[in-house]
Amino acid sequence: MSDSGDSDVYWVPYKERPEWSDITPVPEDDGITPVVVIAHSEKFKDVYDYFRAVLQKNEKSERALHLTKDAVELNPANYTVWQYRRDLLKELDTDLRSELYYVECVIKQSPKNYQVWHHRRVLVEWLQDPSQELDLTGDTLISDPKNYHAWQHRQWAIKTFGLFDNELEFVDNLISEDVRNNSAWNQRYFVMNNHLGWSDLNVQKEICYTLEKIRFIKNNESAWNYLRGVLLHDKRGLSGNAVVLSFCEDLFKNRCHSPYLLAFIIDICDEVIKKGEASLMYGPERALELCKALADKYDKIRTKYWNYMANKFKALIDLKATY
Amino acid sequence: MNNEENNCLAHRQHVKYFMRFLNVLPSSLSSHDTTRVTIAYFSVVGLDVLGSITSMTIDMQSRIIEWIYRLQVEPNKETGDMTACGFQGSSTINMPFDSEKSQYRCGHLAMTYTGLCVLLTLGDDLSRVNRKALVEGVKALQREEGNFSATLSGCESDMRFVYCAACISYILNDWSGFDVKRATDYIINSIGYDYGIAQCPELESHGGTTFCALATLSLTNQLDKLTIEQIEGLKRWLLFRQIDGFQGRPNKPVDTCYSFWVGASLKILDALHLSNFESNKSYVYETQDCVVGGFSKWPDTCTDPMHTYLGLAGLSLIGENGLLEIVPTLNITKKAHDHMKYLHQMWETES
Repeated sequence: MSDSGDSDVYWVPYKERPEWSDITPVPEDDGITPVVVIAHSEKFKDVYDYFRAVLQKNEKSERALHLTKDAVELNPANYTVWQYRRDLLKELDTDLRSELYYVECVIKQSPKNYQVWHHRRVLVEWLQDPSQELDLTGDTLISDPKNYHAWQHRQWAIKTFGLFDNELEFVDNLISEDVRNNSAWNQRYFVMNNHLGWSDLNVQKEICYTLEKIRFIKNNESAWNYLRGVLLHDKRGLSGNAVVLSFCEDLFKNRCHSPYLLAFIIDICDEVIKKGEASLMYGPERALELCKALADKYDKIRTKYWNYMANKFKALIDLKATY
Repeated sequence: MNNEENNCLAHRQHVKYFMRFLNVLPSSLSSHDTTRVTIAYFSVVGLDVLGSITSMTIDMQSRIIEWIYRLQVEPNKETGDMTACGFQGSSTINMPFDSEKSQYRCGHLAMTYTGLCVLLTLGDDLSRVNRKALVEGVKALQREEGNFSATLSGCESDMRFVYCAACISYILNDWSGFDVKRATDYIINSIGYDYGIAQCPELESHGGTTFCALATLSLTNQLDKLTIEQIEGLKRWLLFRQIDGFQGRPNKPVDTCYSFWVGASLKILDALHLSNFESNKSYVYETQDCVVGGFSKWPDTCTDPMHTYLGLAGLSLIGENGLLEIVPTLNITKKAHDHMKYLHQMWETES
């Protein structure tokens, strides 16, 4: 959505429009030593020369409102244009519903632009009406399921206006579509944390849900991270949940060597050691062995990291030997 | 250009690349109209990392300095109000306003930060920077939750601007506009269940925002507010971003810029040496354009100044030959950082 250039044959420059003849355009004054100069099109210069002129006068008019649309089209990232437009909307008492529709169109053209989403948020705040936000962000996330702006706006709307009711279903659909969608897993945590809560029952339910997804695709960091997130709310920690332990040991026995599984077992060992519990299964020896397996075989891009981890466990074993 | 031969630095081409961006850009870059200072930053600091500041004539260097200073927003002449002070990103809105209509002419934290970095890199003594005004400008943008907006004139607030505010305060050696306690709380509240850090609390962890957060904690001497668990969790999360180069989030494609964002985060945590330098380097070189210079985010795609600078910065972090050392927190060369330290001493003796 950058400068569309001078190719538009129907375009009448502002300087040739009779209804603007009372305005003296204000050219950009970039000083006598400009650098990083953008070779703007004639259209861009024309629109922004008039934009500067009305801004300088602080003219609050319908024509100024219209001008901001042209300015946005040429550069939707100009935050001053958007701010001025908001000031105009207020001053002119414009119908904000049509503005919602307008910004929706701009968002669809520039879904990764900070300014358009900010504009949207202010409008929703003014109207105190979030009824379209789930659809808007939902549509955006269909074409780009990891769009950070859309997720941020969605979380804001949900939290501010309490729109949690159908969110788990929405998240579930996204995860079913792409079980590696980390944004969707994060949203799942958001819903649990703010809405459904971490009752013992919910913790168990989430564990079962996640294990099912891991069973399906084992080498998926997003699901393993979520599992850890859920277990933050299990008083017994990583190492105390029998369902999780037997799931991991089953995978391990079946020769699953996913780094996420092995890292998880290492962390179980680490927790058991820190709790000071004596365990045959989850001691420093096993952790050391797994670190070495990761370093030498299963996660060689992180060899140095796993050696670093191995050294910690080795130090514990050495310490134990001296007593 | 992903062949074996492309595993060395096209030094001369990158110098030319940045020099071109310092001059004239095509109209297709109009969406960068309000953020031209950042392009100057990538180019000038990029040339510095290449050890090639002197490729610019003295005249060119002083032109850049003059241009940056023109973008400084001074206190309101009638009221003395300093809340709008800082640097603008370009001259788009840089015209005279009547005092009571001047609310649209205001600084922007990212432009102030990168503008100051350009000045430092060019060896300017910051004597024309209105330090007190800039600090007041920073102060006006901190929000209750501890994060910062970028500008007074209607804008979102998030981790990026916490970082910019910290950099400005650090460069000016004046923290009176930055509530460290509140910013630290905001950062810690933005740590996710996977130990990565997000743009704001509860959003998805992200390599870029994790850098902003960790660099801020480092610049404010607050890294010790992280628990051992959080530090080890962060190391793990960051190191798991490495595929060959680095990705910004789990299950996302690798991108050249994360060799800096994630690399610098690891460096701040003293854990960069635990990553795989060779794979990282190979990936970044796959995105190098050997013919006209520049780096892109993915192999065989369009280069741009940001990915070019961050590619070089990422390579510098892992000690690539022919590149100057950079200070990961501030994202300028050590040379420029030393110059800043020297200025701090001068200011001490003055006061």
